[in-house]
Amino acid sequence: MSTRHLAVIGALLLTTALPLPAQPDPPPAPHVPDASQFVGQPAGAPLEGAALDRRTSEVSALLRCPVCQGLAVADSPAEMAVNMKGQVRELLSRGYTEEQILSYFEQSYGQFVLLRPKFEGLNMLVWLFPVIVLILGAAIVWVKVKKLEKGPARPPVQAAVAEEDPYLARVRDLVGGGKP
Amino acid sequence: MNRTVLIVGLFLATAVVGVLFLGLGKDPQRIDSPLIGRTAPSFALREAGTGDTIALEQFRGKPVVLNFWATWCAPCYEEHPILVANARRLGSQAQFVGVVFQDTEEKILKFLRDRGSAYPTVVDDAGKTAIAYGVGGVPETFFLDADGTIVAKHDGPVSTELLQANLVKAMQR
Repeated sequence: MSTRHLAVIGALLLTTALPLPAQPDPPPAPHVPDASQFVGQPAGAPLEGAALDRRTSEVSALLRCPVCQGLAVADSPAEMAVNMKGQVRELLSRGYTEEQILSYFEQSYGQFVLLRPKFEGLNMLVWLFPVIVLILGAAIVWVKVKKLEKGPARPPVQAAVAEEDPYLARVRDLVGGGKP
Repeated sequence: MNRTVLIVGLFLATAVVGVLFLGLGKDPQRIDSPLIGRTAPSFALREAGTGDTIALEQFRGKPVVLNFWATWCAPCYEEHPILVANARRLGSQAQFVGVVFQDTEEKILKFLRDRGSAYPTVVDDAGKTAIAYGVGGVPETFFLDADGTIVAKHDGPVSTELLQANLVKAMQR
């Protein structure tokens, strides 16, 4: 082996032994927050075609548009609502269930975003109050009717009074020519 | 019977008035974020102007002021100089990040050129980041502690006092 070969091998060994210059960290991959950060992995089957269209409308109808006055995401032309509807569609196409999607939006916006309040806490009043009022009203009517049924029949006071009224008797006399 | 009806009626009327009082006593525009106390949703978005990707995670270790805004939002014009001034004053003590949605990069850059900039502004193209943060209208500002936990949220334009109070909260954790 010549001196030249030895020099080349030595140079190569030296190069491999030297620490490599520090590489800058690769730029982060672009991404947006994902529903999996909130509700985990999809629990249903991915949808597509007509079923996807139908379920997108159905689930979007359960969400309130946050920038509108009482409009569902499904019905609002606002850009925010359009974006939310697009997200519902994407999540359904990935296999997220209705419960998971509603939970995802609820965890971001709170219960305000649900058009159908959950049956819990003070919300229960919304569901129970009309029923309670209806039952109470029916009970009052029933008790009143029962009381009327049981009560004694009142004598026809008005008729008796009318018979004895001298003015009415005089009118009858005039109209009927004094015949009884 | 009449007494019973009166008592039931009074009870129902009190309940209705109570519910209305509770409801009407609140500002309908103010909704507490369920995200407070939770880790801020992760994102990495394109920076307006440079095209670089800015990830929220790269600011871990210091408090973050995350401001959602848009050029079509009038109150955003009002708060922008306050945000810029405070970002300059605080320097490396806190990281300010602007997130723009429902807007165009051209308009964003013109806004920043005309009104100054002191921190990165990223573009939320499809509004998915805004949705994950429960943003309804702009401006909305989130305050994150050094661990990336959301400690406060403010709807509407910020003031210097409000920024300081919430940053103190973020730094205390």
